[in-house]
Amino acid sequence: MSEPIPPNPARASPLPLVIGLGNDQRSDDRSGLEVARALRPLLAGKARVEECESEGIALLELWRGADRVIVVDAVRSGAAPGTVHRLEPGDGFLPGLRTATSTHGLSLAEAVALAKGLGFLPRHLVVYGIEAGDVGMGVTLTPPVAHGVREVIDRILVEFETEPGADVPGRGPPDA
Amino acid sequence: MTERTIGIDYIARVEGEGALKVRIQDNKVEDVQLKIFEPPRFFEAFLRGRSYLEAPDITARICGICPVAYQMSSTHAMERALGMKVDGQIRELRRLLYCGEWIESHPLHIFLLHAPDFLGYPDAIHMAKDYPDAVKLGLALKKVGNALMTLLGGREIHPINVRVGGFYRAPTVSELNAFRPQLVEALKMAEQTVHFTADLDFPAVEEDYEFVSLRHEREYPLCEGDLVSNRGLKVPQDKWEDVFEEVHAPYANALQSRRKGTGTSYHVGPLARYALNRDHLSPRADKLARDVGLENVVRNPYRSIIVRAVETVYAVEEALRIIDQYKRPDPSWVEPPPVTQVCSGGAVTEAPRGILYHGYRIGPGGLIEHARIVAPTSQNQKRIEDDVRHLVERSLALDDAALTDACEHAIRNYDPCISCATHFLKLDIERQ
Repeated sequence: MSEPIPPNPARASPLPLVIGLGNDQRSDDRSGLEVARALRPLLAGKARVEECESEGIALLELWRGADRVIVVDAVRSGAAPGTVHRLEPGDGFLPGLRTATSTHGLSLAEAVALAKGLGFLPRHLVVYGIEAGDVGMGVTLTPPVAHGVREVIDRILVEFETEPGADVPGRGPPDA
Repeated sequence: MTERTIGIDYIARVEGEGALKVRIQDNKVEDVQLKIFEPPRFFEAFLRGRSYLEAPDITARICGICPVAYQMSSTHAMERALGMKVDGQIRELRRLLYCGEWIESHPLHIFLLHAPDFLGYPDAIHMAKDYPDAVKLGLALKKVGNALMTLLGGREIHPINVRVGGFYRAPTVSELNAFRPQLVEALKMAEQTVHFTADLDFPAVEEDYEFVSLRHEREYPLCEGDLVSNRGLKVPQDKWEDVFEEVHAPYANALQSRRKGTGTSYHVGPLARYALNRDHLSPRADKLARDVGLENVVRNPYRSIIVRAVETVYAVEEALRIIDQYKRPDPSWVEPPPVTQVCSGGAVTEAPRGILYHGYRIGPGGLIEHARIVAPTSQNQKRIEDDVRHLVERSLALDDAALTDACEHAIRNYDPCISCATHFLKLDIERQ
């Protein structure tokens, strides 16, 4: 079988890409979407910002053609709610983290692994995981997660002041 | 007396939350229980008191994979209640939107959820390392389906352009024509998919199913036709509640459907549609089915993967046919009459995984008084239990791990969509 996916010029944007993942109706699971909404005006002209309420497979399409991508999602690792994890899953896996989103298809970690297997992984991929507390029905964040959202917004703004792969202030020790 | 218990935390690659328990005593299968925790019950309750016009958008939220099915069953049920007839290009657009859902859903199941079972991989991620082109093919086809749903529905996950009577906005001829090249490409990919699935190895198993689907006089069924079966059932589709019933199994939160009177299971989905509508396949789908040696009635549940591929070819061909004859309807919907008295209506449409029934009673003023939604997976639930029972009976020699894998595969033959907040299916095999 030949390569069946035609190139999509609209996606082949030279701008970096920020993707906020989540479910707007599930309390802390909306944290990635909140980050994207806050960043959109702040990063105008510097980055494309997308919100994604779909499952992991959609990510493979969303980041197609992008060289530098930052994904923000709610995660569960057992840490305190609001804890921010920063990962560079260049090896194709996100060990130790379970994303709280994804009711269908693939989780973020699985999407990254699949993208790696298919050669669809962006050259520079950073994942911010915000530890979720409550993921029940609801349209507001719990206070610690709202704090985590503000932290991620600030850290991504700092990321865009540096080249990908450079040492980012406030990055802290690697989580994985 | 021998006793064995096997437990698995969850089965991946099914939609939603549930559990399977198999109890084996002295090498005899005593009980099989498929427990599904599904959300439609809540939807039925909170539809009450809402305007009938809201039902398509509210019920689309039940599922991220088959929202169009919910929109189509609800709109048709409301229109039947109100005595409306929607035809012409609006009817064609509805079929086109539904084709998008089939083109999105079938390849997802074929390549990313089901194929790993046949090729010996735990999931599509591992399969992609050895079969990257197959996985890319699945993703590319799914993308065309999503794009078609976005074009007609406004967005791919929960379309927002469907209303009782038609569409809020009908696409222009040039918008649909611009989409044509993607479908031409998709047709080639769908044909490749049929060959890919037909080349898989299948267990030699046949089940004696009562197949139930819609049947229309001249077309492969999506939204219209009678409810029929291979055992003589033939009733208008709004009579679903006359011939089927929902039973509350004590071990499950969900209701199980069965035939009224006999209490027996039945089978809905691609195998049933194909068996009962083989003569209405489009030319290429028909030829491909014959080319790969697909029997006219497929009773081997594992071969449902080929039938899904054939139906994907059908959906692409049907989408092309609709686009080629399209004239933009103006207005894009039929205005519903005022609701002056209590009225009731039911409708069945063919979700990718089988028939989806909606029944409503609307009060004067248009508020919903009663809603009943029966998803295809709850209709297949008892049949899945029967398949698993037969599988375990003939596979008792397998060790626990192999038997567990086999049970998961048998469940995935049905592409179950147990739409819920998580996607865990707990499996317990208890041997006594």
